[in-house]
Amino acid sequence: MIKVSYPLNRLLTAVARQHQMKESLSDEEMAGHDLSAAERAALRAGDIQALYELGANPYLIRRVFRRRFTI
Amino acid sequence: MAEIVAAALTAHAPLITGRPEVSRPDQRDRLHAGFHELRRRLAAARPDLLVLFVNDHLQNFAYNNLPAFCVGLAERYEAPSPGGAALMRLTPRTLRGRPDWAMALLEAGLATGIDFAYSYDIESWDEMSVPLHFLLPEGEIPVVTVYTNCAAPPLPAPRRCREIGAFVGDFIRARPGAERVALVATGGLSHWVGTPETGRINPQWDHWVLDQITRGDLDPLARLTWDEIERDGGNGGQEIRNWIGLLGAVPGWKGDVLAYEPVAEWITGCATVWVHP
Repeated sequence: MIKVSYPLNRLLTAVARQHQMKESLSDEEMAGHDLSAAERAALRAGDIQALYELGANPYLIRRVFRRRFTI
Repeated sequence: MAEIVAAALTAHAPLITGRPEVSRPDQRDRLHAGFHELRRRLAAARPDLLVLFVNDHLQNFAYNNLPAFCVGLAERYEAPSPGGAALMRLTPRTLRGRPDWAMALLEAGLATGIDFAYSYDIESWDEMSVPLHFLLPEGEIPVVTVYTNCAAPPLPAPRRCREIGAFVGDFIRARPGAERVALVATGGLSHWVGTPETGRINPQWDHWVLDQITRGDLDPLARLTWDEIERDGGNGGQEIRNWIGLLGAVPGWKGDVLAYEPVAEWITGCATVWVHP
């Protein structure tokens, strides 16, 4: 089954739609979102591999954490 | 009766126009030549309307509402919008929609069990702006859009995409009047974008896909599963659903591959294909 995290994607969609590129997200930016501890840690670290494995959509990962990609 | 007078398949990627200079000149030249030849053939077919098989990238449809298939009823499409234009280094422009035509397609679908979603307001991104920059530089021909979810799994089965395309083809051929319709599908081929494997391209799979299209054999593509495409074509390869939809509209037609280049710098296996009887 495909792993999808709605809370992660909901937050990343909101950030992407503001055309903001991030290295990481702060606790303040995550406030009000029903995220797991692992999801918060991955967002705080800008860990694109962990975000992918936790069910974040890769297009959203790319848009928000563009600077984390080497290509 | 209306007639399908042209059909074309192309890649889309924001970097094709956004950062042309980073690609190898020989690859870029061959791909541009492919786009220009498609444009020449498309113009020679004198279409009255373009029907586009395209996909969103969570620009319009987010996780609170994700249609598998959506007909665009917009009066006009910003392709690109001022925001997208900066990224894709294109001039902002507006293309005319054909909401009357799109509504007829939508109603015919719903009446016969093709349960399209619909939208009056679609912000186009590279799926429309980049290929039409090459294929429709004057922007003089109106467009109708059929969006397929290729970007936010779970996705509709390729088999279903073929059926949707077949419905669109039948709808066109049953239209009264001497309407000339061109079909354009964009997306693919293999690319991994936003995943830990970002930047990977699989030319071997791309050639396999193109071989099926060249032979006019849609069965192997329609049988593909999400897992197979994800493994061999990456998450971006899922966009071949748009191609499968178009090919479903023109059973028996074959592809003429005008260009294929795995452009590492644009992180996409890029092709331009003319499809003909």
